[in-house]
Amino acid sequence: MSEALPPHTAPTSERPAGATDNVPPLARLNDVSLSYDGGRTWALDRVNLSVMAGEHLCILGANGSGKSTLGRILAGAAAPDAGRVELMGSIVFDGSLPAEKGRVRPERYRMARHSIGIVLQNPEDQIVTTVARDDVAFGPENLGFQPARISQAVDDALARVGMSGQADRDPTRMSGGQQQRLAVAGNLAMEPRLIILDEPGAMLDTAGQQDIMDIMDRLALAGKAVVHITHQLDEARRADRVMLLADGRIVASGTPREVLSRRDLAILSPPPAEGSGSSHLPEPIHKDPAPAVPASTKEGQGGVPPSAVADRQGSAAPAVNVQGLSFSYPDADGETLTDLSFELQAGHTLAVMGRNGSGKSTLSRLLCALLAPSAGSIRMAGLDIAGGIPPARGRRRRRLLRLLRQRVGFVMQYPEHQLFADTVAQDVAYGPRNLGLEPDQVRKRVEDALDLLGVAALADRSPFDLSGGQQRLVAIAGIVACNPQVLVLDEVTASLDPAASQRIMALLRVLHRRGVTIVMNTHSDQEALQLADEALLLERGRQLAYGPVSRVLERYHGLLAAEPSPAQDLPAHTPPSAAGATGTAAPTHQVQSEGLAPSKADGPRTGLTGRLDPRAKIITFLLMMLTAFFISRPNQLALGFVVTATLFGAAHVPIGSLLKSVRVFLLLMLVLVPVNLFFTRTGRPLAHWGPLQVTDQGVWVAILYSCRFLLIILLGALLVETTTPTQMTDAFESLLKPLSRWGVHTGEMALVLSLALRFIPTLNQEVHSIIDAQAARGGSIESGALDQRLRAAVAIAVPVFAGALRHADNLSQALDARCYEGGRHRTHYRRLSMGRIDLAFIGCTAAYLLALLILPLVRC
Amino acid sequence: MSMSSHTPNQSHHPDAPGTPLTDAHSTGGADHGRWSTKRIAVYALFVALTMVVSFFSFPIFPVAPWLRYDPSGIVVLVAGFAFGPAAAAIVSVLGFLPHVFTNPFGALVAIVVALALSVPAALIYRKIHTRAGAVLGIVTGAVLGVIAAILCNIAITPLYAHMSMGEVLAMIVPILLPFNLMKFAIHGLVTFLVYKPISRLVNR
Repeated sequence: MSEALPPHTAPTSERPAGATDNVPPLARLNDVSLSYDGGRTWALDRVNLSVMAGEHLCILGANGSGKSTLGRILAGAAAPDAGRVELMGSIVFDGSLPAEKGRVRPERYRMARHSIGIVLQNPEDQIVTTVARDDVAFGPENLGFQPARISQAVDDALARVGMSGQADRDPTRMSGGQQQRLAVAGNLAMEPRLIILDEPGAMLDTAGQQDIMDIMDRLALAGKAVVHITHQLDEARRADRVMLLADGRIVASGTPREVLSRRDLAILSPPPAEGSGSSHLPEPIHKDPAPAVPASTKEGQGGVPPSAVADRQGSAAPAVNVQGLSFSYPDADGETLTDLSFELQAGHTLAVMGRNGSGKSTLSRLLCALLAPSAGSIRMAGLDIAGGIPPARGRRRRRLLRLLRQRVGFVMQYPEHQLFADTVAQDVAYGPRNLGLEPDQVRKRVEDALDLLGVAALADRSPFDLSGGQQRLVAIAGIVACNPQVLVLDEVTASLDPAASQRIMALLRVLHRRGVTIVMNTHSDQEALQLADEALLLERGRQLAYGPVSRVLERYHGLLAAEPSPAQDLPAHTPPSAAGATGTAAPTHQVQSEGLAPSKADGPRTGLTGRLDPRAKIITFLLMMLTAFFISRPNQLALGFVVTATLFGAAHVPIGSLLKSVRVFLLLMLVLVPVNLFFTRTGRPLAHWGPLQVTDQGVWVAILYSCRFLLIILLGALLVETTTPTQMTDAFESLLKPLSRWGVHTGEMALVLSLALRFIPTLNQEVHSIIDAQAARGGSIESGALDQRLRAAVAIAVPVFAGALRHADNLSQALDARCYEGGRHRTHYRRLSMGRIDLAFIGCTAAYLLALLILPLVRC
Repeated sequence: MSMSSHTPNQSHHPDAPGTPLTDAHSTGGADHGRWSTKRIAVYALFVALTMVVSFFSFPIFPVAPWLRYDPSGIVVLVAGFAFGPAAAAIVSVLGFLPHVFTNPFGALVAIVVALALSVPAALIYRKIHTRAGAVLGIVTGAVLGVIAAILCNIAITPLYAHMSMGEVLAMIVPILLPFNLMKFAIHGLVTFLVYKPISRLVNR
């Protein structure tokens, strides 16, 4: 092979030790370059590398070094602009050909991708359905495996990642680490020769990262070639070969020992544990009594009352005081937080630590009055936001919240997800404008905040054109611009590379020196040690330790060591969400409870309705529901209820929880009762109040209409409760199938519906987070002048759409990774088949419908 | 990122407006008659978003507090503007499909109204790809949406309440008309305000 290295390329060999010329590499790149902006800048610049069978290659690089792009090229998911790409022994891209001559070979790419697996950074966006087993089967289905082989592949793959026992669980409810295991299983089931893992641990907590290390070992055991892309130096140590990528070029390559000893690794290294003095040591507050930005705080109209400033300076009054705080979500059984009590002196920093689902995010929302506790009191910056006597209501409550928004800032997890405006400056100005400041004061606040974050140069750029790290800084500037006395941050450095994390930690030090009180959720020992004065450890919503950082950390490590994989017994109500994947619990706000996607996909169903073919069930139930509208006689009504009661009896479904899930519709039914009661004028009058009169016929009509409605609600709820989303969409696809003859994309539509149902909890939670985060910046669509409300609506809608598009982007990559090719050659793991029981059920339904028809003829 | 002088892929910038579901660095040929993974993913997320926001409802009309506004209309409008009339139709139909199991006729009304709102708006915006076109599309869609909403309600209300067509006309329309006008005004206004930043994300 003659691979002439361009002169500017690092003088290191790209050949792995021991590779021989007669074994073709699984992937080989020659002078590969790629640009996202039409050639102005290059994400990859003349990269040369080969991946040999069975080797473990680690590609190291900072955020923006081009490593994910490189991963996509190796995976056959993206074609470069120049160079040559050979995958699985065939040339899939040849940049030496003119563009119109087919530099990209789609068919070869397609074949090569069948042998390459890819695991992406965001664990939950790779999940395609709500049953683990079906999720793993998705790839083999796309490759056209026969059903028996799919079963075998699914069982093997789950066993190889140690998840055999969880085949029937709902992956959207698993921890991030487990979701990544499942993503690996989904790839293994397709029997790839090469697996690319693109920062698989970046969004995971400590326990999740342990999962990733375990997965790596298992892949090595399985003899797969692995390309592991990461910015974590310590993850590179177990590789056979390490490559260092910077600015789109490979700057070093060799054994881990050779590469990891280089000095230019500084960009990726954690900072020295002991800094040189003052910068990292928290200073006691009384040494530095300067308030955050005294001048503008005082000019702020409707500003901070003098007492608040006094609170801040007086060392006696705590800035945060929490007593006996408990909280439970309305739909959850059990408490999310139980009996927390702590206080924080003004100007101090508290690190809140704990594992997945320990309740950290819920605590931050409570501290910002985005949730109300079920018991206990919270006092923030001199304001009794919960448990005050007397409790604030109505206008007083609104005034209290307005003051709170001025004094307490909330940086949500992944705050860049709340960016919305056309320019960075406008986005940062949103909070100060909502505080009612004058335009020149707003401008001053924006300038100061951007300066403080070191992003003043970006003021006129669109926030959506920035890198991930820059977006994070800009989003934080938007909260800092409100000059909060207390700043609540939820894992503010999550999935940033060390350089970007350092920048944020430096900012927190500055704010600390200015006297801002900080409450920060974190997984990182380093952050807690360097920034916090004290720490609080949560475990399952209880306060396990509270006090000096070192002592709390000791306890935290004890906890991690004792139960390395805590997520398996997360409480059932832990949100199936981005937050779940990234380490904290957050509110559920169950959409499912209103009759959308059934929530209990775990485990097989028993009972008659659970065993029916979903097609038979959906058709018969819909017929029974629709015909209920035409019931008009008591005997028909009685029959309807007998049949419904029988169905419930056969289904073994607890009626209580079912009624709870349809309570909205039951309320609607109650609204309709008086309408029917009073609008029916015929029949014998029974009573009247002024113009309102009730007749005997009116009473009957009210009963009839509400009973019809009740029948429909009950039948619909039973159908939804006993049918998994997978069954629902399989039935949908099968029932629509005849339409495909007229060019309707039935298979694709069924997949769209199935993916949509799977993403409901994710989006639901994201929408709530964005509403909360913007509310914490003073934006409300429910009160204020019309233009303010519209501005608030835009500030919510834009990030919500941006989030949907971001998930769509990740999801399409995940679908590609699982070789979804528009349904061609696709087979089905689960096959629907109508059995005797289904035919019998259809027969019974027909008899019922017939009886409904005949009953009006019967004189009774 | 470094600067140098290769030639990038020619097919760089998304070509026709309204069809940004292609990728400059795609490795697939144009596989006619099938949907790309990008298209499937985008449709799925917009359908999911429609389902989610249909539960974020609140009263806007003090006279009839039981009529609640929900922002799902914004999602179908944006889907149509960003990805064309076919996307609008699919999101409108699939987005309200799960409601069939809880409220069959209500779901049908929601689907018809969403189609009347979003498909004409998307068609007009595709023909006239300017701000004026967007306004014209939104207004046309809103007018058709209001008409569809009222006609459907007249047809369906007798199934839920014991009223004749005439009674429905007399009692419901004076309430339904202003409510729906408000509802579609909000849909249109918010869509108009958010579409520009969103289109930049879509077309990047």
